[in-house]
Amino acid sequence: MTPNLHLAHISDVLLTWAVFVYAFAMFGYAAEFAATRRLQAKPPVDGEVGVGESKRAKRVGVAAVALSVIGWGFHLSSVITRAAAVHRVPWGNMYEFSVMVTLVAVTIYLVLLVGRESVRFLGAFLMAPVVLYLGLAGTVLYAAPGPLVPALNSYWIKIHVVAAITATGAFMVSGVVTVLYLLKERWERGQPPLRGLLLRRLRSQPQVSLGPGTAAVAELSAKRSGLMNSLPSSERLDRLAYRVITFAFPVWTFAIIAGAIWAEQAWSRYWGWDPKETWSFITWLGYAAYLHARATAGWRGRRAAMLSLIAFGALMVDYYVVNTVITGLHSYAGVS
Amino acid sequence: MTVVDEGTTDQLSTQPERPTMPNRGGLLVGLRALWRYFTSMRTALLLLALLAVAAIPGTVLPQRGLDPVKVNDYIASHPQLGPFFDKLYLFDVFAAPWFVLIFALLFVSIVGCVVPRIRLHAKALRRRPPNAPRNLSKLRAATEWTTTESPAAVAERVRRHLRDARWRADIRAESDGAVTVAAEKGYLRETGNLVFHIALLLLLLGIAVGTAFGYKGTVLKQQRETFANGREAYDVFQPSRWFYSDSELSPFSFRLDRFSASYDASNGEPTDFHAVVAYQASPTAPSKPYDIRVNHPLNTGDAKVFLVGHGYSMDLRITNKYGVVVSDGDVPFLPDTAQFLSHGVLKVPHLNVDGKDRPHPGQLGLTGFFFPTAAVTPSGQLTSSFPGLNNPVLQLAAFKGDLGFSTGIPQSVYSLDVSKLKEIDQTTLKPGQSWKLSDGSTVKFVGIHQWATFQVAHQPGKTTVLVAAILIIAGLLGSLRVRRRRFWIRAVPVTGSGGTQSTVIQAAGLARTDVGGFVDELDELTKQLGRPTERD
Ligand code: HEM
Repeated sequence: MTPNLHLAHISDVLLTWAVFVYAFAMFGYAAEFAATRRLQAKPPVDGEVGVGESKRAKRVGVAAVALSVIGWGFHLSSVITRAAAVHRVPWGNMYEFSVMVTLVAVTIYLVLLVGRESVRFLGAFLMAPVVLYLGLAGTVLYAAPGPLVPALNSYWIKIHVVAAITATGAFMVSGVVTVLYLLKERWERGQPPLRGLLLRRLRSQPQVSLGPGTAAVAELSAKRSGLMNSLPSSERLDRLAYRVITFAFPVWTFAIIAGAIWAEQAWSRYWGWDPKETWSFITWLGYAAYLHARATAGWRGRRAAMLSLIAFGALMVDYYVVNTVITGLHSYAGVS
Repeated sequence: MTVVDEGTTDQLSTQPERPTMPNRGGLLVGLRALWRYFTSMRTALLLLALLAVAAIPGTVLPQRGLDPVKVNDYIASHPQLGPFFDKLYLFDVFAAPWFVLIFALLFVSIVGCVVPRIRLHAKALRRRPPNAPRNLSKLRAATEWTTTESPAAVAERVRRHLRDARWRADIRAESDGAVTVAAEKGYLRETGNLVFHIALLLLLLGIAVGTAFGYKGTVLKQQRETFANGREAYDVFQPSRWFYSDSELSPFSFRLDRFSASYDASNGEPTDFHAVVAYQASPTAPSKPYDIRVNHPLNTGDAKVFLVGHGYSMDLRITNKYGVVVSDGDVPFLPDTAQFLSHGVLKVPHLNVDGKDRPHPGQLGLTGFFFPTAAVTPSGQLTSSFPGLNNPVLQLAAFKGDLGFSTGIPQSVYSLDVSKLKEIDQTTLKPGQSWKLSDGSTVKFVGIHQWATFQVAHQPGKTTVLVAAILIIAGLLGSLRVRRRRFWIRAVPVTGSGGTQSTVIQAAGLARTDVGGFVDELDELTKQLGRPTERD
């Protein structure tokens, strides 16, 4: 069947709206975050002012959540109209994968919001990569609506690819949380979160000398404490990242296994060390290493977190580099 | 609520503690220490990371197992690095001794760590939950409340409640009249973890069986041709290392009745391939039709037949100057581009057979290009602009001379060695057209058919691999999603100032992972056990 170009166009427009609304939501979260930070950095002289500010900040935060939900609605509608336009599952090329992965990431965030832990702080940090991903998807990776190549035309696309997309979306969330964990953990140890930031501060505050170091640094981090302060404790961030990974890792394992079963049907072997298969395996090993590190004295904490970020890096290689640069059997990405 | 220090929480690792060995000194202790180091989590972690890094070159450099031609090209274009890389097995990474070594070490390490854990876990499953620590108030989520029940009654009620909630719970009386209930839950975590690690071993076993036995082969078949499974019938046959006799090939056969491909008219992307075959599971079995498609292989005997490629063949009839038909039939042309610009060769070693079957000297070679949808490039060259047959054109060149068969060196049917040949004529033909050569013979382009290539694969051990895979997921879910946790109450009798008897219930718990969730769970649990909430 020929694609319905009108519907496909509607899908594109809906996605553009989603990106804009997400961007606004991001600013909302950031504003709330900044307000909370000001509040904590400068304890109010009289309670009234502080409470008022916090209320306003909270209102901005709630508005950001509302915007996220609206953006998510546009996002989801974009996927549905795309599916209707191409008469097939809407995850047949890299453009469509990116749209789905971010949809999963935002969905997980919204589900976590509904859950018992307060994770609103995540909004500001998650929306940034989501908007980036979608921007990249809508421009560089965009694929015109069309049918699936025969190699993909199997019910396994519903099983294998859905699992891969779900796990990737979840790993994206855990990746963001892990970065925040590393920043917060660093800060809790009395170290400045980012060297560049520190240097800029130092230059604007000539009275602090670089030499004696530690005391000045501690003083500085106390001064800048607001930003990091409004993040949850590193322990909570670590736990949140772990919780998301313990969801994503079995799903990723399932995706690899389903892929192997599909490969056995399509290419006559379940495993052939095709670049895509190999990088999926490397990703899997990376997260397995993270899980082991987290259970090993001397490796839990910072080092385990680094491993999980490396594993996420492997996933990104698997997704972007393998699909576009390395040729293999999985050359259906729709990018030429 | 107080937070316990890391040391206390650590005791709830799902990894059982190992008994410490008596220190006798000497070699044995050294070996034991080495083995202990080798089977530690730290080593597993190292090996996992090492394996991941070791796999990377296999995705960056061309690999023989995937594309041997590319490897040769790479070595040819990198005369210095190429052979050096080759010595390091960098073109066969996944079969390289160092890769296999890391893999093997990892699995030995799994065996070494799983075996003692099975024993310890079996013991833990039979053991009573450990008794309450002396000071419950030091633990996370510690809480207490008072009731008028007797300690024994409280303990019995709590135990029953916990058992109903699938905790393993156990009552102990203490010397001062207090009664404790110790409960534990989430044994499935360690069980799942063991199942997961054992399933990894099973997976390896299944894979090993598959690569050690079994075979695969590819074959090109024209329409109406029959393939009967047998080593000689393949164009390429790859038995595995311990594949020992051809009698292992199940005796099926199939005939390619029709092949069809369809393409997206807008961009030439393929949309569908069909190979309709008639197959027999054995020479005596009835013939059945089957439609082999991508993602839809034929399952017969112990093998699967996959459709892996296709192309056009030219139906050419050569009549020599005596009027004798010396060659007639489909000549397969191999595709060179996605638009199926294809090339092919026809060799006629005995061209000049006269009407009385007497051979006269003369050999004919034809090379050709086929354009399913012929178009002209801006530079004036002929090309194909679409893979379907919209404007089929065959471009042929005829050569006379020595085809080189007399040397006895086997030749490819897809290339012509023109060193001892002379080009005599050139033309382009459309289906149905004939071409008279200068020596009096005629080439007739009768029509176009299609051929298909099939891969036949027999890979034993697949069921084992599948079972292992399912266990891996099940084990993983247990290992990662189940929480191992302990819960205690201590019911302490107190005598009030007026001689009234009451019981103080202290409750607390301990969890290894997801502590945040556990605090909520304890909160809920103690509420159910009668702890008054603030609002009451
Ligand atoms: C292919 C190799 C391996 C993989 C993919 C793997 C994977 C895993 C995974 C996913 C977990 C769950 C982590 C958790 O509970 O937080 C785990 C736990 C564990 N693994 Fe492995 N493992 C491998 C090899 C090994 C080896 C060789 C050992 C022995 C040294 C080992 C020992 C353990 C232990 C003791 C745990 C429990 C951790 C805990 O208590 O949290 N694993 N493994």
